[in-house]
Amino acid sequence: MEKLNYKKLGFKAGLEIHQQLDGKKLFCKCPVKTNKKETPDLTIKRKIRAVAGESGKKDIAALYEEKKDKTFIYEFYQDCNCLVEIDEEPPNNINQDSLEAALQLSLLLKAKIEPKIKIMRKIVIDGSNVSGFQRTMLISTNGKIKTSKGTVKIETILLEEEAAKKIASNGKDITYRLDRLGVPLIEIATSPDIKDPEHAKETAETIGMILRSIDLTKRGLGTIRQDINLSIKNSPRIEIKGFQDLRSIPKITEYETKRLINDPPKKGEVRKAEKDLTTTFLRPLPGKARMYPETDHKEIEITGDLLSKITPPELITERTLNLERKYNLSPQLAAEIVKKKVGFIRYTKEFPRLSPKIIAYILVEAPKELRSRFHVTKKLKASDFEFIIENLNSNKIPRDAILDVFLKLSKGLHPNLTQYSSLSDKEIEKTIETIIAENQGAPFNALMGIAMSKLKNRVEGKKIAETIKKFT
Amino acid sequence: MKKISILHLGGTISSKVDYKTGGVSSKFSEKDMLELYPEIKKIAKISSRLIANMLSEDMNFQHYNLISKEIQKEVKKGTEGIIITHGTDTLHYTSAALSFILEHLPIPVILVGAQRSSDRGSSDAELNLICALNFIAQSNFSGIAVCMHSSTSDDACLILPPTKSRKIHSSRRDAFKAINSKPIARVTKQGNIGFIKKITEKNGNFKLYLFNPDLKIGILKSHPNLSSLEIKNYSKFDGLVIEGTGLGHIAVNKIDSLTNENENVLKELKKLAKKIPIIMTTQCIFGRTNLDVYSSGRKLQEAGILGTQLDMTTETAFIKLAWLLSNHKKEEIPKLINKNYRNEISSRTSLDFLDYVYT
Repeated sequence: MEKLNYKKLGFKAGLEIHQQLDGKKLFCKCPVKTNKKETPDLTIKRKIRAVAGESGKKDIAALYEEKKDKTFIYEFYQDCNCLVEIDEEPPNNINQDSLEAALQLSLLLKAKIEPKIKIMRKIVIDGSNVSGFQRTMLISTNGKIKTSKGTVKIETILLEEEAAKKIASNGKDITYRLDRLGVPLIEIATSPDIKDPEHAKETAETIGMILRSIDLTKRGLGTIRQDINLSIKNSPRIEIKGFQDLRSIPKITEYETKRLINDPPKKGEVRKAEKDLTTTFLRPLPGKARMYPETDHKEIEITGDLLSKITPPELITERTLNLERKYNLSPQLAAEIVKKKVGFIRYTKEFPRLSPKIIAYILVEAPKELRSRFHVTKKLKASDFEFIIENLNSNKIPRDAILDVFLKLSKGLHPNLTQYSSLSDKEIEKTIETIIAENQGAPFNALMGIAMSKLKNRVEGKKIAETIKKFT
Repeated sequence: MKKISILHLGGTISSKVDYKTGGVSSKFSEKDMLELYPEIKKIAKISSRLIANMLSEDMNFQHYNLISKEIQKEVKKGTEGIIITHGTDTLHYTSAALSFILEHLPIPVILVGAQRSSDRGSSDAELNLICALNFIAQSNFSGIAVCMHSSTSDDACLILPPTKSRKIHSSRRDAFKAINSKPIARVTKQGNIGFIKKITEKNGNFKLYLFNPDLKIGILKSHPNLSSLEIKNYSKFDGLVIEGTGLGHIAVNKIDSLTNENENVLKELKKLAKKIPIIMTTQCIFGRTNLDVYSSGRKLQEAGILGTQLDMTTETAFIKLAWLLSNHKKEEIPKLINKNYRNEISSRTSLDFLDYVYT
C-alpha cells in the first residue's frame, strides 16, 4: 500500500473526546448507574419539534430530523431517573463534584478557566435529550498537551449532560433508555493540530490518560468516546464517530483520507467508524447555529475561593513512575497498582514493617494467582486484603500461607489462624518424637513427609529436617 | 404481646354522643375503648388515657410540647408503642412537629384520626385504629407516622411519613396522602404489612427539642391582586412562610401601569426579609420550588426569600421554621432550612410520588 504524505495533502485533524463522570447526575441527585432491570418501570411517549436557535435560523440537522416525524419512546427507571430527566422539573443546582472535576481537568490541561460559566442549551432533536436540548457549558479554553510531534492545543473544555441511549428504532418510533441521560460528560476539543493518523491515536491516548488521572472519571466500556474531525486540501470537513478501540484510529483515519482523495463528498458529513476499519455515512454535518442560553439555572461564578480549593491530581504516568522509584517496583506492577486503586500507599504507611513488595504481591499478584491456579472467580473483598495484611504484619500468618488464607476467605470461611502459628522448639521436638515413636524404623523421607503434613504452614521444612535428624 | 398506650387528644375519632346532654363527649377510658373495640385486646396489651379533649384546629405549639412530654413519660414507663388519636384537620402539622421535637424516638408513635365519629356504625376509626395497632405489634418501626384509610374501602390503611403527608380532602376517609414521598407501608385489617418505603432512622440518644410557644409564624398564600399591606401585616412576626404559586412565586413584577402595586409588594418583602426569615413553598402541593427559573423567583432570592429547590409541604415548612427558630439563632435559618432533619426534604423527585395519591 502506498504511503500517504499527509503534509502534502494538507491533512488537518482534531479530536473531540467525551468522557463520562461518576457520582451523581449533572442537574439532579440521581445516581450515575447503568440500568440492570429487564423492563422499564414506565415508558413515556413524546414528540419533539424543531425550534429556531438564537440566530433565528432553523438548524440544518434539526430540519433533517424533523422531516421524519418521529415518536420518541422513553424507558424510565425509578432507581436512576427522576422528574428532571423527563423534563418535568427544572434542573437542580449543578453537581458541584462534576464541576470541580472539570476544573481539575482544566488545570491539568493548562487551560484558561472562564470566570463566569454560562449554561447553554444545545438543540438536539434526534430525541436523545427529552427536553429537545442538551445542557452544556464552556469551562475553559486554550489548553495544551505535549506529544511526540509537537504541542496539540486544546481549544475548549466543556461540561455537559450525556444523552439517552438509543435502544431501538422501527422507522416511526425511536426508543431511548433514560438511565444515561443527564450523566455528567466532559468534552475536550483539540485544535486541528494533529499531523497524521498515528498522531491522532497518540493524542487520544494522552488525553485519555489525563482524564483517567481524575478521581471522578468513570471507567468501563462506553464511558469514553472519541470523534475525529478531519479534512485535506479542497475537501469538506468529515467527522468520524464511534471508534471501538483507540488502535483502530490510524487505519480508519487513513481509509477516510484515501476516500477524500478518491471520492470527495460535496458537503461535510458525519460518518461512523466501522469494525472493518471503513466508515459509513450517518448524516450531514450539522450547522453551527444551535445554542441558546439555559434560563433555568443561574450563571456560575468561578470564585478565587473555589479555585483555591481545586488541586489537580498527579497524572497516572507520574504516579506510576513515582511508585516505581520509591518502592523499587516493576513498571508493570506500579501501573497496575495505580490502575486498580488498591490502596497500596495507605497499606505501606499503615504497616511499615512489611515490605512494599509483599504488600504489592498481596494486592495485585495474589488475586491473579488465585484466578489462574485455583480458579477463584469471586472478587475478593477489601476486608479480605485487610485481614491478610494485618495478620501478616502481626506474624499470625506466615508468608507461605498467604494464598491458603486467601483461598479460605474466597470460600467465605473464617480461617483458624492457630493452624499457622509458629511453634516453640519444644513443641516441635515433642511432635517429631511422637511421629518417630509411632513409625518405628521408617526412613528419613517417610518421617519427613508425615511431619511436613502435620506441621505445614507452621514450621519451615529446614527446621523439621534438622529436628528429625537430631532424634534418629 | 406488646404494651401499647393510646393517648387521646379528642377530635372526631374519640367523639361519641353523650345522651345526657346531646353533645359530643370525649371521655375515653380504657374501659370505653375496650367496650367499643373489644377485638383490640387480641392485638396488644392496651392502656388508654385522655391527655386533652379538643378539636385539632384549636391546637398550638404548647400542645406539641405537651404531647411530646407525654410520649417521653410513656417511653420511660417502658411502653412499646403509642397511638395518638387526633383530629384530622391539623394532624399533619402535629405529625411534623412531633418528628422535629422527638429526636431518636425509640418506639413507634402513630397518629390516628377518623373522618366519621366513632359512635357511627360506619366510622372509619375502627380500621384506622386496628391497622395502627397491627403495625406497631408486628413491625420494628420506630418514630412518628400517620395511619389512615388507604382508599374509600374499609380494607387497608396507609402508614404515612410524618413530615411528608397532608390532608387533601375535607371529608373522604382516605383524605391523607403522602406528598412528594411514598407511603411508608400498607397495612390490611388482617395485619398484613407491606413496606413501600424504607425509613432509615439514625441511632442516638432520645432527646426532646421543644417549641418556643411565644413565636409568631405566619403563612401567607400568594394570590392575584395581592396588596403590599398583606406583607406589612407580618412586621411583628418572627417568621413567615409564603405559599407561592407554581415554582414559588408572588406578584413582584411591575410590567405596566396596571401592576404598580407589585413594586410595593417587592419593597415590603425586602424590608420584611431583612428582619425575619421568609420561606417559599408551593401551593401546588406536589413538586419542588425553584426560584431560578423565572425572573420573579430570582428577584425573590435577591430580596432574601429562602426555600428554593425544596419539596417541603407548606405545613411542614411552617412547623420546621417555628422549630428552627425555637432551637437556633435567626441568623442560622438560611443554612438550616436546607438541612434535612427528619426526611422532610427528598433529594430526588420520583415520578411515582403522585401515583400514590390514586392507589
